[in-house]
Amino acid sequence: MKKLLLFLFIFSITLVVFPEKNSAAENLQATIDSLEEGAVLKLEDKTYEGNIVISKPVTILGSAKTVIKGDGKDNVISIKAPGVTLKKLTVTNSSMNRNSAEEYAGIKIHTNGNVVEHIKITDSFHGIYLSQAHNNKINNVVIKGMGKGEIAAQGNGIHVYYSNDNNLSHNSIEGTRDGMFFDYANNNESYENNISDTRYGLHYMYSDENIFKNNTFTMNTGGAAVMNSNRLLLEGNHFIVNYGNQSFGLLLLQANDNLIKNNTFYMNQRGIYIDQATRNSIQGNKISQNQIGIELWASSNEQIFTENLITENTIPAVTIGGSGENNFWSHEDKGNDWGTSFPLTDLNQNGIGDFPITYQSSLYQLLEDQELSYLFLKSPALGIYEKMNAALVDEKVMFNDPHPLAAAKGNTNLILIAALGLTAVLILLKGRHLLCITFGRNGRKT
Amino acid sequence: MHYIWKEWKENIRGKGLWLALSIIVLISISILFRSTALSFDKGFYVLLINLFDTIIYFIPILCLFIGAFSIFQEKEQKTLIMLLTKKDSYASFLLRKSLGLYTVVLVPILAWFFIYLLLIKFNFELDIKAYFIFILAIAAMSLLFLQMGAAIGSFSTSRMQIIGYTIFVWFYFFFLHDFILLSFLPDVTHENVRLFSIGYFLNPLQTVRMFLETGTGVYSMGHMSRLLQAFMWTKPAFFLLGNLLFWMITSIATAIIFHRKEGFE
Repeated sequence: MKKLLLFLFIFSITLVVFPEKNSAAENLQATIDSLEEGAVLKLEDKTYEGNIVISKPVTILGSAKTVIKGDGKDNVISIKAPGVTLKKLTVTNSSMNRNSAEEYAGIKIHTNGNVVEHIKITDSFHGIYLSQAHNNKINNVVIKGMGKGEIAAQGNGIHVYYSNDNNLSHNSIEGTRDGMFFDYANNNESYENNISDTRYGLHYMYSDENIFKNNTFTMNTGGAAVMNSNRLLLEGNHFIVNYGNQSFGLLLLQANDNLIKNNTFYMNQRGIYIDQATRNSIQGNKISQNQIGIELWASSNEQIFTENLITENTIPAVTIGGSGENNFWSHEDKGNDWGTSFPLTDLNQNGIGDFPITYQSSLYQLLEDQELSYLFLKSPALGIYEKMNAALVDEKVMFNDPHPLAAAKGNTNLILIAALGLTAVLILLKGRHLLCITFGRNGRKT
Repeated sequence: MHYIWKEWKENIRGKGLWLALSIIVLISISILFRSTALSFDKGFYVLLINLFDTIIYFIPILCLFIGAFSIFQEKEQKTLIMLLTKKDSYASFLLRKSLGLYTVVLVPILAWFFIYLLLIKFNFELDIKAYFIFILAIAAMSLLFLQMGAAIGSFSTSRMQIIGYTIFVWFYFFFLHDFILLSFLPDVTHENVRLFSIGYFLNPLQTVRMFLETGTGVYSMGHMSRLLQAFMWTKPAFFLLGNLLFWMITSIATAIIFHRKEGFE
């Protein structure tokens, strides 16, 4: 009897101290496998060990603290059936192995018509990977990568590969390699996503006819890089502080027939950087306080720039590598608003300046030959350098806007600054002694 | 300690410090108003960079004037002679005076930027590390130009000389230094880029900016070419430290070697 009790005691201790490692995973996987098609599985506020494969159309609902943790050797969640819905989960710890044909991800989707909502993904190679998956909805997903310094060791926030007609909206991606990467992916729509601290916030390769609206890119090495992709619509996006030696708000490289409309490019190294691209229409954008507003390489032709506000940039626009042919700085008699950069009169009050604006510069040669010249773009010496060179070296025409728009009226900030200035002067003149007495014991009126 | 107290009493009676502080306050408030439309999470960084880019025009010249006139006042009022007839050498006077200047200028500026932090808090998500780097950048710039100002005050014999030298130093760092480097730029190769880099980072304005922009994570130093890597041969913080040491020692040495005890209105 004693031996039996001892055996039971040791057995129970073993059970408590060494629980079976994969029991939770097998349990969750087994539970999912046992579900009927269309069933809803509600998960508890606890950590479930992954990885899991979903091979029937089911809905999995988590809550605030539901975590699915992978074993670090595979995808954490693989969706292999159409019509799956995942909501309110934290997904973490996919494989980071790069020596494999498999592109690992927190959530890997192979099928169509799935919904992924309110998910948080951390410690995964790619956040979400859509592989030949169409008509999926990815909304309100938060993806955190390893940080801006890591490029090769990690993947992209959302990687869309040979996948069409997907909707990606209200997602927040930070610190991954690229924020959203579209590779041979057409007709996808992305709205109101927020992407920061990545290499390229948005990266299009061989992806046509996608729509990208009202997204925000901040503090990426490059805001959006559109390469070999055509007929895209980029509208209402904000490209803010994409600021580094080779940074840009938007890069158009071998990209044709794209419409870039009503976007904001603010405080980037280059607002828009165009190389080997043709027939792109850039209209109604606000391009301000960038080091270079528009950098246009001569290999690019037939761009149309119209109704943009291009102001307070160190260099408004520069053409590099020879003179680009047939780039148009006005369309249907409407040019661009060059703000305070170029003085303009509009005596007949028709909103169009009375004379064309031609910008000449000698900086193109320096920018073309020496990459370190970008380090001087914030230096006030640049203005003097330009003026000196104007007299000594042949300047080249950077752009000619035949119908510049008359600048918008002044703002209310001026009144505020004037009021504050007046207050400061009054304090300085009349109230200084009072201040002296207040702050310094010996500061009495003399 | 009594040097600090003396400096404080002298400065609060004068217009210089108040003018400098009111300009800084005015600029920072106007930039805050201009930045209210920025996003909550990243607007903080934009605000800091914009504020720095504006304030960089004022702090150097204000600090140069405050430093120079503070030393010159000792000559004008003959207090310098009185102080030096005691056991004090000029070096010891200069160091104590500089310490007083640092305290008197930095304490109000730091106090203001502490209050400013509270104002920012209502508009943006704070990053205390980034703000600390911003404060460090402002403090480094102030110290450096105060010390240069003290040197100008030491070797100048009239107010006109002070104004002339101050404007020259300001003009040199704002325009001439970079202009000279721009002229050499086409000849920079991988072999001589380190020399060029030393020249570039001898300009305190460029060094402080690089320190701030990289320290706050705004300026991305990723994907550097071989040339750029050779150019950035050490961390921006070390460039700043080197720059500070170089100009502090140069200014103090210049002040001690070339100082004049007499000054006239």
